[in-house]
This record gives sequence, structure tokens and C-alpha cells, in this order.
Amino acid sequence: MGVWALIVVLAVLYARLTRPATGAGPIRSPWRTISFGAALAALWLGLDWPIGALAAGYLASLHMLQFLLVALIAPALLLLGIPGAVWERLAGRARTSGILRLTHPAAAFLAFNLVVLVTHWPVVVDALMGSQAGSFLIDMLWFGGGILLWWPVVAPFPARPGFGYALKIGYLIAVTITMTIPFLYLTFTSLPVFATYELAPPIPGISKRQDQQLAGLLMKLGGAVVLWTGIAALFFRWYVGEEGSVA
Amino acid sequence: MIRLRSRSLSALAIALGSLVPSAWTGCGKPPAAGGREDAPAPVFRGRVLAETVPRPEFTLLDTAGEPYDFLEETRGKTALLFFGYTHCPDVCPIHMGNIAAVLNDLGVERRRHVEVVFVSTDPERDTPGRIREWLDRFDPAFVGLRGDRAEVDAIQRSLGLPPSVLEPRAGDGSYAVGHAAQVVAFSPDGPARIVYPFGTRQADWAHDLPLLIAGTTPGHP
Repeated sequence: MGVWALIVVLAVLYARLTRPATGAGPIRSPWRTISFGAALAALWLGLDWPIGALAAGYLASLHMLQFLLVALIAPALLLLGIPGAVWERLAGRARTSGILRLTHPAAAFLAFNLVVLVTHWPVVVDALMGSQAGSFLIDMLWFGGGILLWWPVVAPFPARPGFGYALKIGYLIAVTITMTIPFLYLTFTSLPVFATYELAPPIPGISKRQDQQLAGLLMKLGGAVVLWTGIAALFFRWYVGEEGSVA
Repeated sequence: MIRLRSRSLSALAIALGSLVPSAWTGCGKPPAAGGREDAPAPVFRGRVLAETVPRPEFTLLDTAGEPYDFLEETRGKTALLFFGYTHCPDVCPIHMGNIAAVLNDLGVERRRHVEVVFVSTDPERDTPGRIREWLDRFDPAFVGLRGDRAEVDAIQRSLGLPPSVLEPRAGDGSYAVGHAAQVVAFSPDGPARIVYPFGTRQADWAHDLPLLIAGTTPGHP
């Protein structure tokens, strides 16, 4: 229910923000709408049944797939789905000092990695995953952390001329490195670390240890696929920009 | 819904476990063995019993249809005795899976000194073949035993465990069986001094099993 409420709220918000002013032309472009729709689809896929239910109390590997969808994929697509005109409108209205500080690459990097480390710390996972509210809190921390992570890379506001393509690429590469810490912990610890999943009814075909190792691999490989896709896109845009300026 | 049902069954099993007499629920660190007050007793992660429980004498049929004399077959070994049923959605497969995973890490030599014995509390559905097939998912060396309900209830009572309880049948004819959720660990020298309730993790087994195999006791005479 909470999942659908979140998706409806985001969809309504998007429709309102992208509604053209009277007499003005459309501000949505098809690919941005598709990107926003894909973000909502990723959220729905990650939070609703079956992934949401199985991730909440049965499989650490699906918990990690949920992390990829909610913290890495959905936020990037959501920010990409916001049209330039909306960013301009937001820039005019927003209290820029707070957003400036919060979305500063260093702050965003720290916040995202803090969220990743804390929400994969066994004591925290076991304490929160036992209740719907706790599970929802983890989901929202992931989503919020993901928005912060991608903001300096994707959002044109606030403008940071000093944070160019090279630094953006370096920023995302740094994230792939910090995500190695939980990967190593989950993949190479011989015993299950999360009581939530170790003491859950078993799922045929996968042992508790295999499940945890798969979770670690998903975090590393799945995270790498998402982040390196972002890096490749940045590099491509950088290259196209350089070509354009030479021409 | 599945999750709620499973959790409620776990709660039932734990509740049944909590009904056992005080001898089974004693916690804490017992006095040091042999009167040596300065020698700290080994700290086990299982629940240390206030009083030791003798290894029981009973014979039931194993999954090959052969009589299995528990006292004789497990003499000199660490014996982990558990009462459960193969349709159990949570407590039984979690205990068996966790024990099997840790035993697998111990190596062949130490593994030989441990006998895991599963006694069915659901003889109507747990045929010898089904018990064998179910136990083989965890470890083919696990022993599966079956007797009629009265026999199994009597063994549980002799250990101070509550007899199992059949839950009302669902519309499709299925039913759950409430049962004690603890694994009873008998030391190589005979009696049980420790039980492992539901919630015992692989890390706990990995810590305690080598101590149990080595004949270490938590300090009881």
C-alpha cells in the first residue's frame, strides 16, 4: 500500500511540475517522460511483491537487488526524467543555500556511502527489517541517498561549473570503490551475517551462505553495471561536447 | 501471508519451548567445574541447563526400517536430538540447515564424533522415505527416526519437553504441528547440559560444536 502511495505521489508531483503554463508549449519530452516512468517502474519492482516481500524477510540477495533498484537505478532515472524547464523553475523557487550544501559532491558522496554502510550493517538490518516501518525506513534512506548520489551528476541545478565531466566520472568511480567494502564483507564472510535472512524460512535451491554471497556479488557486479553505465554516458557526452567545440 | 503464517508458527514453537520445566530453562554461567573457583567455565552460546538431563534410552525405527537404539548408537558421541516434522515451514529446516552448514565446516574427523538425530512428531505424514528425502537435503548422515505418537510423546516427556500438539486442519487438509523448538545437545560423556533454542545461529553452532565435541562442559559435575 505504501509503495503505491509513494508512486502515486511521485507521479502526481511530476504531472503538476511538468504541466505547461497557460499558452506555453509542452515542457515534457518523450524520453524524459519515459525515463521518469522507468524510475517509477524500478521503484515498484523493487518495493512491491515479489521482490519487496522476499527481500523483507527471506533472501539477502533480493534485498540487494532491491537496493540496486531503489538506491541506484530509480533515482538516476527519476532525475533524468525531469525536464530542463522544471529545473529552471525549481532553481528560481528553491532555497539554494540548503540544496547547495546538501548536493555538493563531497556531501552527497559522504551521505550515500554512509547510507550504504549503515543500512548494510547487520545490527541495523536485523533491527529494522523486522517491522514494516523499519523496512520502509531503509527503503527511503536508499532512495534519498540515491537521489543525493546522482544529483551532482545528473541535475543541472545548482550549477557547478567546476564539477565537470572528468570529476563526475571520478566521483562515480570512487563510489564503485567504496561499494567494495560491503561486497567484500558479504561475499567473503564464511557465516551468515544477517539474522533476518539466516533465521527465515528457507527457500529451496539456495543455502543461506549462497544467498549471502550472491547478495555481495549482486552489490558489486550490479552496482558496477549501473555506475559504469553512468560513467560511459558521461564520457560519451564529454566526447560529443569536445567534438562539437572543435568543429 | 506466508510470512505471517511462518512467523506465527515460530512463535508457537518458541512458546511451547518456554513451557518446559525449569531444568530446561536455566540460563547463565554455572559454577566452575571441579570446585576450582578460579578456573572460568567455558562460555557456551547455547542455553545452559540448571540440571543435567541423562541421555535417554529409547529405540525407534530409522528411515531404513531398522531399530535404532539411541543410547547405544550415540554412546561416546556428541548427540544433537531434535523433535520436529518435515512439513515444518521454519524452525525445523532452519535448525537442520544451520547445523548441517557448520558440521560441513568442521572436517571429516570431527564430524564423525557428532550424531544428529531427528525424531518426527508427525508420524502420519512423515513416512520413512519422506524423512530420508527431507534430511538428505541437509546432510545424508543425519539420522531420522519415527515412532507412533504415544512413543514419541513419552520420549519428549522423559526429557522434560512438552509433547507436540496438532493444530486444527486447514481447508485443504494441511495442518501444523506445534513442537519444542530446541535442539538438545548430549555431551560425549552422556548427559545433556545445553539446549539450543530457535534463533541459534550458525555462528553459535560454530562456536559451541568444537567445545561439545572436545567434551568440554559448562561446569556442571
